[in-house]
Order: sequence, then C-alpha cells, then structure tokens
Amino acid sequence: MGNKKGQQEIVGFVLIVVLVVVGLMVFLIISLRDSPEQEKSVEVGNMLDAIMKHTTECAVVYEPDYDSFEDLFKSCHQGDQCSNLGLSACDYLNESLRAVLEGMFATEATVGAYQVDFLVKDDEGEEGVLRILEGNCTGSVSSAQRSVVSYSNSLIIRMKVCGGSLS
Amino acid sequence: MVENLRFSAEGSDFVAKVGFADGRRFAPMVGALRRDLGSKGQMKIMQMAFMIVAVFFFFILVGLFFLSIQFKDVKGSAAQLQRDQAISSLSVIADMPELSYDFSEAFTLDEDKLRIMTGGFGDVYEEFWPVASVAAYKLWPVASELKPCPGVDCNYYELYDNGQSNTRTYSTYVSICKKVKESGFVYDKCEVGKLEVGVIIRDGE
Repeated sequence: MGNKKGQQEIVGFVLIVVLVVVGLMVFLIISLRDSPEQEKSVEVGNMLDAIMKHTTECAVVYEPDYDSFEDLFKSCHQGDQCSNLGLSACDYLNESLRAVLEGMFATEATVGAYQVDFLVKDDEGEEGVLRILEGNCTGSVSSAQRSVVSYSNSLIIRMKVCGGSLS
Repeated sequence: MVENLRFSAEGSDFVAKVGFADGRRFAPMVGALRRDLGSKGQMKIMQMAFMIVAVFFFFILVGLFFLSIQFKDVKGSAAQLQRDQAISSLSVIADMPELSYDFSEAFTLDEDKLRIMTGGFGDVYEEFWPVASVAAYKLWPVASELKPCPGVDCNYYELYDNGQSNTRTYSTYVSICKKVKESGFVYDKCEVGKLEVGVIIRDGE
C-alpha cells in the first residue's frame, strides 16, 4: 500500500517537472522568436543611400563618366576596370569604400563598430564578395540593406552599425 | 467481547481493540484513533497549502521574469521610434524645392542652392522654416574642421538660425550634389553629407 502511494507521489512530481519544463521551453521559444538579432534603422538606411549615391573617381568607360558606389558595385561584379586609375573596380571599391566609411564614422562618437557586406545573390544562395569590418561590437545593432540588379544577379549591400544612435 | 479490528487510513494500518462491555461501546481506543487520523489530515492539508503557496510564488516569479524580458527595451524602442520619426520628418525639409537636387530622389540636396541660401538669402525665409535652425555639411572629402560657406574649400552651410538656444538637434545623412563640367562633359557629382535641423523644445518635453 505504502509503495503504491510513493509511486503516485513520484508520478505527480514528474508531471509537475514536465509541465514546468514545457512552460519554460514555450517561454524560451517565444522570447527568442520575438527578439530579432538586429533592427532595421532609418538612420542606417539613409547612410547607406548617401553612400550609394556618392560619386567615386573610378571611370570605367571614359572620364568624366565616374561611377557612383552603386555603379561601382555593378562594375566590380561585372569584372570591369577603372580605366582612368589602372585598377580593377573591386580593388578600388574596397579601397575607396573603406576611406569613405572611415570619414563618415569619424564624426560618430557613439558608433563602436560597423560592417558592410557586399553579397551576390543567385538561385544557389548568397556569396560574399567584400566585407569591411571595423571596431568591436558591444551594444545594439542597427542594420539596413539595398539591392542592385546586375545581369541576372541581385547584388546585396548590407550595412550593420553597432553602438548608440547615429545622430 | 473484545476483538482486534484493523483500520487503514492514509497508507497506515491501525489496530484497535473494539469491544463491548455490558452492552456499551468500548470508546476510548476509537477516540485516540480519530485524534491520530485528524492530526495526519491536518498535516496533509498544511503540506498541500504550502505546496499551493510555493507554486503560486513560482508562477509569480516566472511571470515577473517574463514581463521584465518583454518590457526590457520598451523605453529604448520608444526613443528609437521618436528618432526615426524625427529623421523621417527631415525629409520634408530635404525635399523642399529650395534645397532638393533631384525630386525623384529623397535626401538629395543641391549644393548650388545651398550656396545661394547661405549667402544671406536664407534670412528671407525666416517665416518659412518650421524649425529653429537648418544646416548642412559635407563629410567627404574628410576635413579636420568645418569651414563655413561662403569661403574657400568650405564644407559647412548654415542656411538658417533664429538664434534660439532651447533646441534639440536632429541630423541625417544626405547626398550633396552639384553639376560639374569636366572635359566638355557635364556630370552629377554627389558627396556624402549631413542635414542638421534644430527643433524648438516646447515646455514639458
């Protein structure tokens, strides 16, 4: 009789433990699903738009038909050369984009780190072409991305900024 | 006649001598048994009460933990939303015909218009601007300091300032563009800049 009672108590205890574990799992799933890694930001979006329109010194065909960064991403994907500089579009893109970003973030005291990714998206997925990463991220992350069409591919330019507000 | 009777209660067996003497029930043993069962029952009720209280407090703690996680960043999100709204409203100023370079592109300022507005023309618009101050500056090429325009190699355009000190400044990134003629060709040259607007802080804000 006593043995049976003990078994009942153990079953009750196990049931309570299972219920609590299930509750915790549901809670964890909900909280993880509702908190995205980073949020889309109007500030970062405007920054990326301004960069994309920025006129570079790279002229692929003739001077003064200079590429904007948006054109330069396409030129890099298409394997073009900056005819006036004697550099490949990708090399110049890497060099000039780093310089512009450094200049922009020099005025932003609250930004701890930033990352710009240049990806080519096709049917098989995304392939990274260029990544610029500076600083160490310790705060919240804001991000934005823009797409440019080149040939049959979609070029994705994604920017992540870590730290306080930009303005 | 006296005989042993076995009782079972709450998992314990009790043996009680129950008998009759002279036609009267032999009551003292049964009374003791009742008292024993009563105290066991009270113990069980107390255990259950403690368990219910513990479970109640456990769920209260879990609820508080859940709420704290949920509302952790509400204040930060509200501030971020306010900032985003302020920046979006900057597009109204950036897209004004007096400043805009290309009507099809948002946040694109005309450097020639900025130069004209800086040269004292902006004061005519004193009643026009819905804000306390408007300024724009170029971030590229990188300069160690802001040089007010008009001037040589200037990069800072102060379009309007009503002199009010009780203001909050909002800024956003813009493209500052101009038409450039080179080798007989005319092209659009755009550089990264910032539009800075001072908003009057009303009482209570």
